[in-house]
Amino acid sequence: MSVALAERPIMSPAPALRPVISFHGVTKVYPNGTTALRDVNLAVHQGDFCFLVGASGAGKSTLVRLLIREETASTGRIFIDGHEITRMPHRKLPKLRRKFGIVFQDYKLLNTRTVAQNVAFALQVTRPGQRHLREKVEEVLWIVGLEDKLDKYPDELSGGEQQRVAIARALVHRPRIFLADEPTGNLDPDTSWGIVQLLLQINHRGTTVLMATHNREVVDLVRRRVIAIEDGRVIRDEAQGSYLREGEATI
Amino acid sequence: MRRLGAALWFAVHTAGQNFRRNLGVSLAGVFTMGLILFLVGGALLFTHSVDSVLQAQQAKASRIKIYLSDSASLASIMDFQLRLKNDPRVISVTFENKDQAAREAAQNPDIQAALNALGSNPLPASLNLNVRQLTDLGQFDSMARNTPIVDKTTATDYNPDVIGKLRTVISVISLVGGIIALILLVISLVIIMNTIRTAVYARRTEIEIMKLVGATDWFVRWPFILEGVIGGLLAAVFSGGIVFLGYKLFVQAAQRSLLSVPFDASYSAALLFLLVLGGVAVGAFGSYLGVRRFLSV
Repeated sequence: MSVALAERPIMSPAPALRPVISFHGVTKVYPNGTTALRDVNLAVHQGDFCFLVGASGAGKSTLVRLLIREETASTGRIFIDGHEITRMPHRKLPKLRRKFGIVFQDYKLLNTRTVAQNVAFALQVTRPGQRHLREKVEEVLWIVGLEDKLDKYPDELSGGEQQRVAIARALVHRPRIFLADEPTGNLDPDTSWGIVQLLLQINHRGTTVLMATHNREVVDLVRRRVIAIEDGRVIRDEAQGSYLREGEATI
Repeated sequence: MRRLGAALWFAVHTAGQNFRRNLGVSLAGVFTMGLILFLVGGALLFTHSVDSVLQAQQAKASRIKIYLSDSASLASIMDFQLRLKNDPRVISVTFENKDQAAREAAQNPDIQAALNALGSNPLPASLNLNVRQLTDLGQFDSMARNTPIVDKTTATDYNPDVIGKLRTVISVISLVGGIIALILLVISLVIIMNTIRTAVYARRTEIEIMKLVGATDWFVRWPFILEGVIGGLLAAVFSGGIVFLGYKLFVQAAQRSLLSVPFDASYSAALLFLLVLGGVAVGAFGSYLGVRRFLSV
């Protein structure tokens, strides 16, 4: 055997059973020496809805950044849809990122464009010449409940509405995986609940959803899969979990 | 084809939109680049004008008069003239006989008075040479001195000092002009790069979103490069216009003061082309450098 065991490709199971996202012994050490993730192993399947919970600095955002290859794993391997992305060349990253729909805590909307233009922008830059652009934009804005705000500008909307625009933009190209990094971080409880309902609805349509959060109420109410991270390690992975371990006290 | 057209339209549309939306920064960039192109164009045109004036002077300076001895026979003079005419270094040779020399000299009233007083014509006949290169004048001078039919007392008349000085002035001016143009171009590239970097920085969210939704690097880059090209083109057209207006006025003013500065249309056209090419290249390359660091994710 001339090929070292570690170099050999991991045999993937049949596509239907294959996880959409899988981490194999992933560690991330930043250039300044901080270890953000330690030996993370996890698998997320098509149609899953996962909460990624943990305190600030636990490693949630690093995990999200590794998924879209904004950062590269120091050791270990990450597979998306059966493709290893840890050593993917830079030129292939656009295609990888098109599999994801991503929203952030700070919405990242363009204030010089209307709601409809913000959503259309995602399609214009990834699929120039897309037919029926207007219809697609209207449809996705209808899903997020903003069909009457098409021509408004982001600063004329509330925080919750702006996050809905960001969700619509992340959805318009029909991604396989929906990543939400603290999507309710800036919102009041009622609005947060509305956003989570929307993410559940998206998941119900078959899209895999991964939501990094430290919104305890939401996690406890929804009762879906919970992956808890502490100090860069996955300390808990429960199919119908809560924000804290059973019996764990709140500080 | 449809996708390519749409991508192209997007790039042009975005570039135009960005240019208008950031009109202040865009115009500052155009103004800076225009000013530098104006200085480069002006420096090159000024050097060229001085060069052509000096070239004209040099042409005048590339003449040598070979005085012939009074005893030389017409046949030997004709023979010598033919030999010079066949020399590839010579442009033209004309024979000036004693009468013509006297008439030429008589244009100065003092000499005319002296000639009248003398009663006879002491002025020698001469062969007037126009040579291609100033450097050859010395060789013709020594060749003439070894030719029997040449006047031994005053063999030739030319001005080696003026020629040397002219040549130094020409090369110094060309060198200085070239160095100034080069320095200005380097400065302009740095300024343009920073201007565009400021413009790119103002739109970093847009770039970040484009990268996040999966736009390719070139798709992100093109609008900025086109914007740089638009800026460069505008700067070149404006500075080119001002340079030519200035050049025309300068030539007119020079001609009024009897200094013969020729209006060189073909050089002007070549310079305009160079300014446009330079503006476009500096704009595009500056944008490329400016946007590069924002594409690393």
